[in-house]
Formats: sequence, structure tokens, C-alpha cells
Amino acid sequence: MLKCREVVNEADQFLSYDLSRSRQWRFKFHLLMCKHCARYIRQFQALKNATPFMHPKASDKEVTRVMDSIDDQAPSL
Amino acid sequence: MINSDSLALLKTGDKTLFSILVRDHHRALIALATPIVGTSEAEEVVQIAWGKAYNAIAAFEGKSQIRTWLSRIVINEAKMQLRARKKETLFSDLGSTDSDSDLLEDRFSQNGHWETPPANWHYDSPEALLMGDDLAKCLERILTAMPSNQRAILEMRDSSELPFKEICNNLSISASNARVLLHRARAHLFKLVDHYQETGEC
Repeated sequence: MLKCREVVNEADQFLSYDLSRSRQWRFKFHLLMCKHCARYIRQFQALKNATPFMHPKASDKEVTRVMDSIDDQAPSL
Repeated sequence: MINSDSLALLKTGDKTLFSILVRDHHRALIALATPIVGTSEAEEVVQIAWGKAYNAIAAFEGKSQIRTWLSRIVINEAKMQLRARKKETLFSDLGSTDSDSDLLEDRFSQNGHWETPPANWHYDSPEALLMGDDLAKCLERILTAMPSNQRAILEMRDSSELPFKEICNNLSISASNARVLLHRARAHLFKLVDHYQETGEC
């Protein structure tokens, strides 16, 4: 059986189907047997899904600065 | 948020819609440029990239996420800035995996199984997981303290959603090095969120 540390280290490859077929099955078997790793994989996926949203939106001032600089330098379409 | 209906209008050069794009992605693009060109020049690089994006928006085909498309423009602009400054590599620690250890290593016993398993997490939506004022401040601190090579790969892969192969080519590093760096960067985030979920503080 895989060790939990291996599951954590290879979580990304598992979710991207990037492991060999036999490794992928061993991984799935481990997840059926180990609730901690099953939880880790769920949380790992949730964290990946959340990462594109980790940066806050720009302020009005920042948006205005960018749009002003576009007006200054870009030819209109 | 720009949806497919508004994309056609955006491609005509509609400035109101373009300003929504700026609001949604500007900070993420600055975060992407920062580990490449440094804090002081990141904003200028992104500013120039926005101008180029506006001029090229009609050519955006929608085959990738718009964040990914914008990120490619920013990375190209950042590389041009580096070339102009005659800097050959993006960061001095680019390929190095020595600068930081695996943060989750101490969660395992010697036999390789969990000693301190992950806490139960509660969140309403994927977006909500990394939101919240307290967490946002800690997140900012952790990203700033992260080795620049780890941060660059985290921003490129998980925030900008660039393909893994493209990141390796962009940074001229091996896939195995990139995987180690990405794993460590994610471990920083995982540990932060896990602790926050368990204790309510970070």
C-alpha cells in the first residue's frame, strides 16, 4: 500500500491522470482505505480551485490609472 | 466577471467592459509579474501589458481562460523588460529547490503515514476558501515571504492556469524541479488554510 506521504507528494499527478495506470489504481485503493488522505485530496482540489480567486479585485483608483494609460497610449480599435 | 455573451462586445473595444477585466485581473497580474521583475517594476510591466492587451483583444479567440491569455502578455512583457536590463535569468534562485523545505513533512510519522492529519474545512464555495479579511492579510504575508521561484510557479500554474509544459519552457527549468517548487508553494497555502480552518487565526 502507498504511504500517505506519497499520496500528498503525488496528488497533483493523480488528479491530472499523470501517473501510470497501476500507480493510479494503487492511489485510488489507498484513498478508499485512508480517510485522512481522501480528505487531503478533496481539500487539495478545493485549494487549487480557489487559488485563481486569491487576489482581491483592483480598486477604483487602480482601474482608473490603467484605463487612463490606455487612453494615452493605445490607438483606438 | 466577463461571460461569453459580453466577450463579443469586449472584442469590439468596449472600454466599460475592459475596465471590468482590469478590475478582476489587475492584482493577479501584478502578483504574476512581481517574482519575475521585482515589486518596483511589476506595476509598470502590467500597465504596458494592459495597453497591449487592449490593442489585441479583438484577436482573443476564447480558447483559453482570459486570465491565461492576459498572463501570457504580462510574462512576455516582463521578459522583454529583463532583456532590456540585460538580465539573462528571471531569478537567481530559479532552478534551486534548496531554499525551502517541505512544510508538510512534519505532519507524517517515520513510517510515512499521517501523524497530524488535515483538519475539517468548512467553506461555502471554492472562491470563499481563500477569502475573508483575516486570511487575506496572512495570505499576502505568506506570498511575499515565499521564495520567488515557488511564487512564480504558483502564480503561473494555479492563479493564471498556464499549462505545466509552457511554464517549464518559460522558465527553462526541468519538469521535476518545477513539480517540487509547485508542491512546496502549495504546501505553504495548505498549511495556512488548514491552520486557519482549525483555529480561526493564522
